[in-house]
Amino acid sequence: MKGHTLFNWIFALLASLVLLFIIAPLAGMFLQTTTEEMRITASDPAVTRSVWYTLAIAFTATLLFAIGAVPLAWIMARRKFPLKNVVQGIIDLPVVLPHTAAGIALLGFLSRDGLLGGAAQKAGILLVNNGAGIAMAMAFVSLPFLINAARDGFAAVPERTEKAALMLGATPSRIFFTISLPQAWRSVVSGFIMMFARGMSEFGAVVIIAYHPMIAPVLIYDRFNTYGLSSARPASIIFILVALFFFVLFRVLATERHQIFRREDDATD
Amino acid sequence: MMLRTERLCKRLDSFQLQEISLEVSRGDYYVLLGRSGAGKTQLLELICGLTPPDKGKIILEGEDITRKRVQDRGIGLVFQDLALFPHFSVKDNIMYPLRIMKLPLKERVDRVQRAAEEMNIADLLLRKPENLSGGEKQRVALARTLVTQPKILLLDEPMASVDASLKDSIRRMLRRLNRNGQTIVHVTHDFGEAISLASRVGVMHNGRIIQEGTPGEVFTHPANRFVARYAGIKNFFRATFVRSYNRFSCITDNRTEFKLPKGDYPSSGLLILAAADVLLSRQGAAGVQINNIHGVIEDIVPSPIGYEITVNAGDHFFADITRREMDDQKYVAGEPVIISFRTDSLKLVGEGEEKKEY
Repeated sequence: MKGHTLFNWIFALLASLVLLFIIAPLAGMFLQTTTEEMRITASDPAVTRSVWYTLAIAFTATLLFAIGAVPLAWIMARRKFPLKNVVQGIIDLPVVLPHTAAGIALLGFLSRDGLLGGAAQKAGILLVNNGAGIAMAMAFVSLPFLINAARDGFAAVPERTEKAALMLGATPSRIFFTISLPQAWRSVVSGFIMMFARGMSEFGAVVIIAYHPMIAPVLIYDRFNTYGLSSARPASIIFILVALFFFVLFRVLATERHQIFRREDDATD
Repeated sequence: MMLRTERLCKRLDSFQLQEISLEVSRGDYYVLLGRSGAGKTQLLELICGLTPPDKGKIILEGEDITRKRVQDRGIGLVFQDLALFPHFSVKDNIMYPLRIMKLPLKERVDRVQRAAEEMNIADLLLRKPENLSGGEKQRVALARTLVTQPKILLLDEPMASVDASLKDSIRRMLRRLNRNGQTIVHVTHDFGEAISLASRVGVMHNGRIIQEGTPGEVFTHPANRFVARYAGIKNFFRATFVRSYNRFSCITDNRTEFKLPKGDYPSSGLLILAAADVLLSRQGAAGVQINNIHGVIEDIVPSPIGYEITVNAGDHFFADITRREMDDQKYVAGEPVIISFRTDSLKLVGEGEEKKEY
């Protein structure tokens, strides 16, 4: 038993060190910032505009790319096809790429000379130094979080329930929306939130696509470069607090929405 | 004819369904009996269209449905694991196919209510499947399929998730459904289920239907050792038949000699002997039509009726004796005894059995 206790102590110590490593810098940042600094930064229109802009672009990017990402996740969970492993590798690629390298790759694609950028320019849309370009940079690096979480969710849905729905007369699209998606809902929402969170915190890829309009991570970097640590610190705290608030809010809303959806379904009868 | 399959073939990963031809008449209760891995579930999935066959045809009420969409076949299937929708209440599970049929709300509600009452689950409608027992889940799955009014109902091991104590009530319910005109194809590995429910039985083995008929026909005249085993028969003897003037006899592969009644015998074949027809004694039995075989008791095992005694007489014989008989005779392992049975208790089973399978 003594050995067992020693084992517990060693593991508890190691775990505490890791937690401390995460908490200490954040706590230090909070402790070293005065309320006056916070008040001034919070009332700076450039900061507030940047924070809201970041949230809006990250949310929009997640929402729009989910339209394709969720079906891709379903295909990865349910279908067998040649080179499936290669496709999975492509999905995971943004996670292992250096984000600045991802930004450079995207810039070539989105600039006026690029494939998409050139086509967009003909339609009068500029993708570089623009919200659309920022959204794509955010999505590029964060899509694997949504696709992989949703894929795991769909894979965990018992295939028999989908077959049973087919036997009861449902079309494939009805099966997807009434059987597969509701059962994989938690994983899809979890992936959605992870993609949103990862997207709004992206700096490396975004800064190459668009320094302006400034999203919060770029603004924090800009404040640090221009005015130093004391100016960047309150902006960082505000961004962290707002991001945390929305992170929690989306989780709560997603759970609520799922329950409301179920109650509405009951009420139709 | 309600359902007919014509030489259905399907190659799966490590297994093949071969030339499956079966006929199910309207109102039949057809039981497909076989061990797990025999291909029963795969056959059901072919019939209902979840898997396309490589060859062959499926005819339902005279119409070739082999390439028809699953949703349009009019076949109901209840899966072995029931596949209830866990995120729906019982009511929504049963309502699901009715919503697809776009029935008016009132009719939907009426049908759900009727099905729930018929299946005795009216008080469970607001519950989620996770809060139901195995028997209740089974009833919900049946109700959900029956509201679609299928032409034919396919059941994959319907007793698998039901407690032994509830099996009788499910059996009664299935019999009632069938009496009310529902044609049923029921897949099981349980001989008792087949006997108690089937109007016709098909025995499946290694992707083939090896015997088909009424339960009486199949189990009193098993086509081979596999079917005989399903009927609970353990005494099997591969023998060479001998006729000398008007005396008929045979010699088993282990050199045991049996007298046989007059009959038409092939040169060799498989004989079966029901354990209940075997008498065990120390002095043997008298009579011209009696075989007396000397052997030694090898094993004594308790059985539902008393004991099953294994006697080694070159061949192994299995005899059932009652508890009272055991109390009187006090047989012990290693004791010499005589096995007696009437010559007409020996039955020759059909040809075509592949010896390597057993």
